Amino acid sequence: MCDQTFMAATFGPCDNCSKASPLMNIYIKTEAINYCSFCMEMMACQGLQKGETLVSLKRESDTLKKKLEEERAKLNDVELHQVAEKVEVLGALPIKTRRVLKGHGNKVLCMDWCKDKRRLVSSSQDGKVIVWDAFTLNKEHGVTMPCTWVMACAYAPSGCAVACGGLDNKCSVIPLSLDRNENLAAKKKSVAMHTNYVSGCTFTNSDNQLLTSSGDGSCALWDVESGQLLQSFHGHTADVLSLDLAPSETGNTFVSGGCDKKANVWDMRSGQNIQSFESHDSDINCVKYYPSGDAFASASDDATCRFFDLRADREVAVYQKDSIIFGATTVDFSLSGRLLFAGYNDYTINVWDVLKGTRASCLFGHENRISRVRVSPDGTALCSAAWDNTLRIWA
Amino acid sequence: MSGKMCSSSNSVIQAQKLVDQLRVEASMERFKISLSAADLVKYCQDHRRSDPLLTGIAASSNPFKDKKSCVLL
Repeated sequence: MCDQTFMAATFGPCDNCSKASPLMNIYIKTEAINYCSFCMEMMACQGLQKGETLVSLKRESDTLKKKLEEERAKLNDVELHQVAEKVEVLGALPIKTRRVLKGHGNKVLCMDWCKDKRRLVSSSQDGKVIVWDAFTLNKEHGVTMPCTWVMACAYAPSGCAVACGGLDNKCSVIPLSLDRNENLAAKKKSVAMHTNYVSGCTFTNSDNQLLTSSGDGSCALWDVESGQLLQSFHGHTADVLSLDLAPSETGNTFVSGGCDKKANVWDMRSGQNIQSFESHDSDINCVKYYPSGDAFASASDDATCRFFDLRADREVAVYQKDSIIFGATTVDFSLSGRLLFAGYNDYTINVWDVLKGTRASCLFGHENRISRVRVSPDGTALCSAAWDNTLRIWA
Repeated sequence: MSGKMCSSSNSVIQAQKLVDQLRVEASMERFKISLSAADLVKYCQDHRRSDPLLTGIAASSNPFKDKKSCVLL
């Protein structure tokens, strides 16, 4: 993980004594401190003498953490599957492979559906981003990115553009034109700039705002038109691997999951971390909101998927089996939220009954790790992307 | 990890940030699982009929399923 702290020199009013003088700008992972050199030295000396302050702060944070745990434990009056006892058991699910999309030359790392329910965009390790028509298997557009490992791609809500990013540390927006002869790569526009790889991206409710997550530990909200950073979200202490926007029209929160085993919920306007969930034993590879927006699921390298309730502020279900030992890389809910599709590193997709906590089905077919599963916007199909260079449509 | 000059004051600042964050989280209003889980279950039940992957829809209306129709000429 890259070190975020560096020093630069500017001139202006000091944050501490308000006198205008040359400032030492220190960025400590989450906040910028602009002190004049005198106040900086005072702070350093005080830091040494205030060993007690540090200890008392640590004590307070420990007591707060304990209090949080107690509060959360108090709410655990019943398990989710107990509440769901009266719900009828799922029958056999008649889901099988209906289409296989071949064309990528290397591992397919990400995919996203278009709102028109038939087009989808996929990106792969060979740097190619392809827009497909899932009904006809036609490749509508193909763009070659200058970097390999395009780890994130997203379709704009209007269907007129796609965003993609990866090892180039950037997220670019490519407008899709109807003219097939036009060179799309030339119209590519870099929007997001991070200091490490881009792991996830999504448009917000409009084509003009892009939310990205990065290996530099931060998430950021960008204005597509100007490329300006609108808000940044700091709080993860390791790479952020995934993010998902809350489903409501008016909602302005999103959830992110990362290598620090934490899933954080953020307020997009203030940049504030509203809630934090730490119950996984390993990196969280993917997070996805429940369709109602009151909960979310996460997939992790610890071979479990977990379900977190936002209003109870705790984990309410764990989807695991002794026979599943490979990490889960991706999750998505079906339209009603009853089914959770999870892709694993053992090349399978397990379908979990969200309410009862049991496995409803297992989908076989891919010949390498599953990198992404996504249910189509109208819920009729599931698309999975894998390291075997193909995408599959299941219905 | 951070600038060597102010490492001790950095940890004070970091500890302060952590305490502030925990205070924000502690002040959040929480609901019992029996209530919030009931809402989750209700959402599922309300929308189950409109979930094609759950209930399965006829091949004729699902563009991905092959239509098995035989035309007798």
